[in-house]
Amino acid sequence: MNKQYSLSKKILRREFWTGMLLLVVAAVTLEATSLAQFFFTQKSVTEIASKRAEENLENAKVDILNILNQVETAIHNDIWMVRACLPIRDTIWKVTEHVVKENPSIVGSTVALVPGYYPDRPLFSPYSFKDVETGEITHKTLASEGYDYPSKQWFIEGLTHEEGFWSEPYLDVGGGDIMMTTFSMPVRDYEGRIAAVITADLSLDWLKSVFDDVVIYPEAFSMLFSREGQIMVSPVETLVMHNTIQEVSKQFTDTAAMRDFTDAVLSGKSGNLKVHGKKSFSHVYFAPIERTGWSMSIVIPNDQILGDIRKHNRIIMLFQLIGLLMLVLILLAAHRNQKKYKKLTENEEKMEQELEIARGIQMSMIPKTFPPFPERNDIDIAATIVPAKEVGGDLYDFFIKDEHLYFCIGDVSGKGVPASLVMAMTRSLFRAVSSHEKSPRHIVNVLNESLTDMNENDYFVTFFCGVLDLSNGHLRYCNAGHNTPFILTDSVKKLPIVSNLPLGIVPDYDYQEQDTNIIYDDALFLYTDGVTEAENIDHKLFGEKRAETILHTRRSPQDHLNTIYASIEKFVGEAPQSDDLTMLFIHFTNESLRNPSQWRLVLRNDIKQIDRLTEFIDMIAQKTGIDPDLTLSVNLALEEAVANVIQYAYPEGTEGEIKVDASARKDSIRFTISDTGQEFDPTATPETDISLGLEDRQIGGLGIHLVRKIMDRVSYKREDDKNILTLTKTIRKNNGS
Amino acid sequence: MEVKIEKNEDITTVKFKGRLDTPASQEVAATLLPIQENAAGTIILDCEELEYISSSGLRIFLSLRKAAATKGGKVIVKSINASIRNVFMMTGFLNLFEIA
Repeated sequence: MNKQYSLSKKILRREFWTGMLLLVVAAVTLEATSLAQFFFTQKSVTEIASKRAEENLENAKVDILNILNQVETAIHNDIWMVRACLPIRDTIWKVTEHVVKENPSIVGSTVALVPGYYPDRPLFSPYSFKDVETGEITHKTLASEGYDYPSKQWFIEGLTHEEGFWSEPYLDVGGGDIMMTTFSMPVRDYEGRIAAVITADLSLDWLKSVFDDVVIYPEAFSMLFSREGQIMVSPVETLVMHNTIQEVSKQFTDTAAMRDFTDAVLSGKSGNLKVHGKKSFSHVYFAPIERTGWSMSIVIPNDQILGDIRKHNRIIMLFQLIGLLMLVLILLAAHRNQKKYKKLTENEEKMEQELEIARGIQMSMIPKTFPPFPERNDIDIAATIVPAKEVGGDLYDFFIKDEHLYFCIGDVSGKGVPASLVMAMTRSLFRAVSSHEKSPRHIVNVLNESLTDMNENDYFVTFFCGVLDLSNGHLRYCNAGHNTPFILTDSVKKLPIVSNLPLGIVPDYDYQEQDTNIIYDDALFLYTDGVTEAENIDHKLFGEKRAETILHTRRSPQDHLNTIYASIEKFVGEAPQSDDLTMLFIHFTNESLRNPSQWRLVLRNDIKQIDRLTEFIDMIAQKTGIDPDLTLSVNLALEEAVANVIQYAYPEGTEGEIKVDASARKDSIRFTISDTGQEFDPTATPETDISLGLEDRQIGGLGIHLVRKIMDRVSYKREDDKNILTLTKTIRKNNGS
Repeated sequence: MEVKIEKNEDITTVKFKGRLDTPASQEVAATLLPIQENAAGTIILDCEELEYISSSGLRIFLSLRKAAATKGGKVIVKSINASIRNVFMMTGFLNLFEIA
């Protein structure tokens, strides 16, 4: 006894140290991951910031060039007027007045004549300008006030720049210290001689507002420099038009970077660099505005870019440490006192009970009585949810309103109570929205809006929604990232699907709707990934193929679900169910929507009746345009199957009927042979081995062998004391395709 | 379904015309029973005008072939059309018969 006790103590101690070791490893891994993640995020965030800065510079440039272009265009357009007015010089006033009057952004304009152009007036320069406040226009000649215009930059540069020249910015002392720039260009007379320089003065008081929009971080700022380095825009107002970049650069400690920056600005380069301060550094992005020689820049302190990430990263690392610390404490406590283990177990049980109740509530919300519409003969539905251990987030729902069947299936990401709450919400929304909305696309769009709005925990929902018009079989559907349903017609196929996005991820996402027509005896099988991803102990998945194989055989909806579930259970074996498993099977049985290409032949159990079968097949071949070779093959398979029934289903001397139903589709033809004779499943007979030599070959068994060879699908069921054998053949048409 | 039997010394030629389906096979089987019982010579199954054959027809061919094998005779299948050749292929008969 004692020995045993000390042994178990030893085991316990060993488990404790193993646990501690694992925790240390986990701690190191977690923190290392966080650090790595931080560095990668830092890199990409800086890249994004740089991209935004460059975009903003480009936008500001476009804004500025827009205004400058207006001025240039106005002047270009008025040059012909000056040329026309040159012979009668006093008419030139009309031009300068026109320029100022017609262009809101131009506050003054002159036409300054080349000295000596008019022999009697060595200097002549009519000037019109307007009061910025009142808009009143005044005229004067610049020369008369002793203003020596021929020596001014705007005049000298204007003479030589055919396309025009933008002057250095200056403060207009007379007009309230407004920052101005002047555009000037030469005017030629009819002889082609340069006669004058025409100018337009542009107020730059709007410049600052252009750069207000550029700032992307609270402490970032922008600057604008003139061709010669004059500061035109700056967060420090006192520097504007009073200092140059050369002067300001000297005040920085990082002289090398500032020298590079100054050079780049003065030479009109674009790019970026880092300027280091005492503690941190700033990113500086710059780009020139060609034509004016100006240069813009944006300065973003590095801390601004990385501020939030640093904070988040610290919080995450702290939480991880706290979590691990708690685990250490739990481990310690558990080790010291095993009773606490027991208590924990009790808590767990209590929790499980609560989850059980939650599951009960959840299940009470979905339709669970099958068949759900016993009074109707046009639709049959079966559905099931098998929840995983916890309450889960799967849902299905359906109801009939105005002869339309509304149905949906969905899977909320995650498990547990929160997921099941989202599921409940989704289901209520589906009911609420579809009560007044017939389009699955609208239903899904509204659901997505609501779920995105309410989505605080980043849950998303894969969802499939369909609306089936029971009167004509028109099916409209919309898929939001859910598993593709199967459609069972003559064959089993996946419904053509635009996968779209799951609900709750992107607001305003416009989901695409699709539609198709289904007819009598078609069915839909919808499921969640709990079916396809059911896992056995070897971690193999159940997969779509297994489900599809089962769907090939014709069964009632409930039988289908039972068979598939039994198959999953068998496959999974001892492995625990990890996810909710949900299936919805809808069988459309509106008799009035039988395929128009349907025919029936009823035969007596007399072998001579085979001739009628041949006529029947020929008739179908003619109506559907099946090619003669295929017709012969199909005829052979049918003859074999029917002859077998005629000869063996009914006891000698008794009479019986054999029904042959045929229905043709675009790409297939299906035959159903039914009889009320004794039970016989031809598909259960063993395959005939055709490779055997003469001595070993059996005389019998060739018939069913041919049926299997010729037909693409053969299935048998026993229903209502009838043998029902279904044969399907994929067809190609006579007419070429 | 028409069947013509021609005997020339130890060569028996059976000419088929039309469809050898299940009902036809029942009659043809009875017609050919004497040949099957006396299958020591060469039997030529002339299928030039045979349009169709079902498994019951194939069974007649196979029975003849087996009988000939035990009695030292041989069976030659002559002039089968494409669709019957296809049936022969599906059933492995191409390997069991001498096809001419």
